[in-house]
This record gives sequence, C-alpha cells and structure tokens, in this order.
Amino acid sequence: MELKGIPASPGIVAGEAYLYSPQALPVQKERFPAVEVPLQLEAYRQLRQKAKRQLEALRRRLERQGQPERAEIFAAHIDILFDTALNEEIGEMLEVQHFALPWTIHQVYEKYIHLLRQAKDGLIRERADDLRDVKNRLLRLLAQAPEESLRALCKPVVLVAEGLLPSDAAVLDGGKVLAIVTAGGGATSHSAIIARGYQIPALVGVAGVTERVASGQRVIVDGLTGWLLIDPAPQIEAAYQLRQQQYATSQARSRAYLEARPCTADGVPLTIYLNIAAATPQELEGAPYVDGVGLFRTEFLYMGRQELPTEEEQVGIYRRVLGCFGSRPVTLRTLDIGGDKPLAGFSPTQEANPFLGNRGIRFCFGEPEVLRTQLRAALRASVAGHLRILFPMVGRLEDIHRAKGFVEEAKRSLEAQGLPYASGIPVGVMIEVPAIAIMADVVAQTVDFAALGTNDLCQYLTAVDRENAVVTEYYQPYHPAVFRLLRHVTKEFVAAGKPLCLCGELGSDPLALGVLVGLGLRQLSMSLASVASTKRLLAGLTVAQAERLAAAVMQMSDAGQVKDFLREELRGFWE
Amino acid sequence: MYTKQTVIKNATGLHARAAADFVGLAGKFQSKIVIRSLADGGEANAKSIIMVLSLGLSQGSAVEIFARGSDEVAAVDALVAWIEENVDG
Repeated sequence: MELKGIPASPGIVAGEAYLYSPQALPVQKERFPAVEVPLQLEAYRQLRQKAKRQLEALRRRLERQGQPERAEIFAAHIDILFDTALNEEIGEMLEVQHFALPWTIHQVYEKYIHLLRQAKDGLIRERADDLRDVKNRLLRLLAQAPEESLRALCKPVVLVAEGLLPSDAAVLDGGKVLAIVTAGGGATSHSAIIARGYQIPALVGVAGVTERVASGQRVIVDGLTGWLLIDPAPQIEAAYQLRQQQYATSQARSRAYLEARPCTADGVPLTIYLNIAAATPQELEGAPYVDGVGLFRTEFLYMGRQELPTEEEQVGIYRRVLGCFGSRPVTLRTLDIGGDKPLAGFSPTQEANPFLGNRGIRFCFGEPEVLRTQLRAALRASVAGHLRILFPMVGRLEDIHRAKGFVEEAKRSLEAQGLPYASGIPVGVMIEVPAIAIMADVVAQTVDFAALGTNDLCQYLTAVDRENAVVTEYYQPYHPAVFRLLRHVTKEFVAAGKPLCLCGELGSDPLALGVLVGLGLRQLSMSLASVASTKRLLAGLTVAQAERLAAAVMQMSDAGQVKDFLREELRGFWE
Repeated sequence: MYTKQTVIKNATGLHARAAADFVGLAGKFQSKIVIRSLADGGEANAKSIIMVLSLGLSQGSAVEIFARGSDEVAAVDALVAWIEENVDG
C-alpha cells in the first residue's frame, strides 16, 4: 500500500514503524465542594511549580547539549505557564464555578489556544501548539501519567504519529528514530523541523496514516517524493535501497562543499545567493551557506488567500527574512504576477496572450495601491538588514523610471509619518524581456544592479511557451542565442561596473555553469538544494577552462550541438 | 484612567523576547493595563504574554496604552518610554 504526503525533510529510509499515540488524558467535568476552594487553588499552585521544575530541567538539558534555540522554547513555556490572563481565569473558574482542576485547566487553555489559532500571522498560530504542550504537561502531572515512551525506544524505528509537539521532540531519542511520518502538519510544523534537525527523512500531511500503519510493519519513507510505502515487496525494497545509496553518496560528496567559500579551482571567487519563494524556516536554513538572497519571490503573499496582504503583515515577514541575513543583501522582487492568475480581491481576466500581457511591473502600475503598499512595507523593513529592490518584467526605460518614482513616493510617504527606512537601498530590474537585454548598456547606467531571469528570457527570446505541451521541443535553454545574449548583457554590466546576478534555472544547471562563468558571470542565485553541488562544480573548474567552454559555445549553431559538447566536457565529473 | 499613544519601533515588533520584557514591566504595576492596536482595534491585557502576542504587533504598529489604578500614570509612561527606547534598529 502507498500513501502520499508532503516531503518535509529529504532522504530515503526503510524500517519498522512505531505508532506513537499518546494516551488521551482524562478530563472529567466534575465539581468539588465550595469549601475546598483554598485547597484546589493551592493544589494548582503546586502543580504549576512542578511543571516549572520539569520545564527548567528540560531547558538546562538542551542548553548543555548545545541546543539553545530548542531550550528557548521551554523558557517560553514557563512564560505561558505563568501568564497573567490565563492564571486569572483559572483562579476565577476554580473560585466561582468549582470545576475540578483538570477540567478547568482544559477549558481555559483551550480558549486561549483557539484565540491564537485565529491569528493571521503563522508564527503566532504556531504558539497555539506551545499552549497545547503546556496544557498536556499539566494534565499529565495531574494524572500522574508517565512522560512519553519516545525516550525509551529500544531499536531504530520510523515514528508514525498524528503530530509531534516540542515536548515530544525534547525526549525523542535521536539515535533511534529513522524517519518521522505525521498525519497532520505542514512544512513548518514541529515534526518537520525536528526531522531536519536530525537530518532524517520526514513526511507530513499523510492523511489517515495512524489508521493505516501498525507498529511493527515494514515501511519505506521517501522524503524526496513524499511517498510512504507500507509492506513493500522485496524488489521494490531493493530498488529503494539503491536510490538511498545513490542519494547518500551524492549528498556526502556535495555536503563537504556546502560551507565552502564559492570559488573556481584557480581561486577566483563567485557570489552564490539563495532563491526563496515562501520565506519558510526550511528555505531560510540555507542562510549560513550563501552570500545573501538573489531572488526573494513575494507572490506567495498574494496567492491562495482571501485578502491581499496588509502592509503590517508584509513588514513582519520582510523583517524576518532581512534579519536572517544580517549585513548580506536580500533582493526583494515586487509582485510578479499576471492578470490571468488568481489574486485575492481580483477576478482573473482573460487575455489572449497573458505572457505578453498585463503582468509583472505592468500589472502593478495598473494597481498602484498594491505596489505602493508593498514598497512601503519593504522600506519599513529595510532597517532590519540590507534590502535591495528588484522589479520584474521591465521592458523599456520608461518602466524603470516609473518604478523608481514609486520607490521615491513610498519614501516620501514614510517620511511624512516619521517612519524610518534604510538609506542607499539599491534598485534593480529583472532582465527577462529581450528588449531590455539588448539595451543592457543603457539599463546598466540606469539601475544599481540587475538579475537575469533566464527562464522567461529564453521563452521570450525563442518565442516558446514552455508550458504549452504542443511546442515543448522548441523550448531550448541551450539555444546559442541565449548564450550570445547573456554574453552581451554580462559584458555591458561588467563595463559599467554594476552587479549582475543570474537567478534562473540555468544557474543551477551543472552543464551550463562553466559557460556562464566563462562568459563573465560572477553572481548566481539558486535554491538551497543546488548550492553545495554548484560550489563543488566550481571548485573543479578554472576560469581559463570556463572561458574555453564559453568560446566554443559561441561558435555553435544549435542547442543540440551545445548540449552534446557540454555533456562530453562534463563526463566523469559526477562519479 | 490615563492613556497615551505611540508607535512600535522595535525591529521585531512585539514578538517573542520583546513581548516577554514588555509584559514583565507591565506586571510591576498595580493598575489594570491594556494595550490596543490602533490598526484593527484589537485589545490585550498588557500583563498577559499570550494576549499581547495574539495582537501580532510589528514594527510601525500604532498602539494605545491605557491604565486604570493607583499607579496608572507611572505605568503608561513607563511602558510608552520602554517602547520608544527599544529600537533594535
């Protein structure tokens, strides 16, 4: 049997399942006699002290183990334990209604859990889990139920559960858990974070898993694709074992390069930035291994929701991302969406050629409030780090001037309110419309930096919609024209002394890397998954070799020739 | 009753550690203290970290702090001063 979930931590593993379902804690709706009020209040105070001692012990243990962030979680639990509002209500309920302690605690905590679940900010919603965790701890102490059995696993298992709370993680024996599979949760849930911390595969959102899997059953967890295989046939297991080995080998080799400074074999340094699309903690984990964010896509804030993101919400998220990178640049791209995509508060329009239509900066010029709010939020957040602003789908100089005008207007409006923003924020454009690529010399004089969006650039340049199944064969990232245009743009930006970063898929393509470096590119932006392998590839290449590759490609006439040539050159590199 | 308005300037808004410190300070006063978000009218008992967190105040949020009790003036002044001094940049 196979179940599908969301991959939350990469890797592949086979093992025995262990179904973890914490005992339901008994909560009877009963009352105590009025005369017992002082006794119950005192019992509650003592219970709280006991819980506090447990939490402090946990915190100290985690600090000793060198895990200050996880230790901090339990310090926050102590704050919750002593929260004024919570405790006032518990006291009142005991004094006035005389409900038994477990019931009272359950009622009041659930009320606040519900309150936090209503919050718009996802980080605040997650605090609801912390409240639940503290509540469970109090109820466990009252029931004198043992701390969870996760501490005493006697052999390595695949943990299967509805979900995991911070307290579960704290007692988890990392050495004995092969993988984590939960029915609930998303990529930012505790289960996902714990698994990534232990570098074991994890799947979340596997609906019904606790009913379908029994302890002792053999399972395969594929954290790369999201599949859970239950009782797999021997040949399936063998195939998975092979994939597991290949993955492990490749990871080990590349991982050695993750922390390295990116440079060529002859010591020429490159800048490697991160592409991020949702600002999840998972994406931001790559922060220590890169030089900043080359492309912070902001569409996630606008899609799949009922309302447009408020300025406040945006400020909070942008600040968080900027804060992760300190003095390293974070390049925020303004809303890059087409009128044909579902956007909160807008009915999708029908365009005959959406790709050539109202999208990117054009869409934003048509909806100035949306752009204004985003820019204000970005500027307000800019004090938290090193912000760069990037405009998408710019096709002419007038667009650049108009966009810059919006930035200036946003600055004026903040000044009028006495709100600060960083000085000297670089403003740049995506180079994806061929017209602007050809005018690179003029563009380089008009902007502070630029980012090459090779995915769209290739589509526009070769006139192919890569999502159109009928013409897929015509979409050729290795078309010589693409490389020639890249050479032109790079040359002009180098001459003007302005930074140019390549943020499309081509930047993480092992076949193309040498050519890009040979053409003069020194900044690449990519997803975390490609960082280590890119650094590894760079370290095996000198600039002279890269230039030789580029020169050869410049002489070629078709994509097939280019691909075959590059494949031949790279043969044997990945063994 | 005594009330004052201010704007949160702290880098991380009133989240996490900042919230805990703010609430700790509020707890030192006798008066009943409420912090209100001017953007959406949400109110919270300033002595409850859960309630303050639920407001989700970020940098730039305009708030009103009002207190009722024997030390209401000292309480509001102290909390507003704290907010205005805590600029993490």
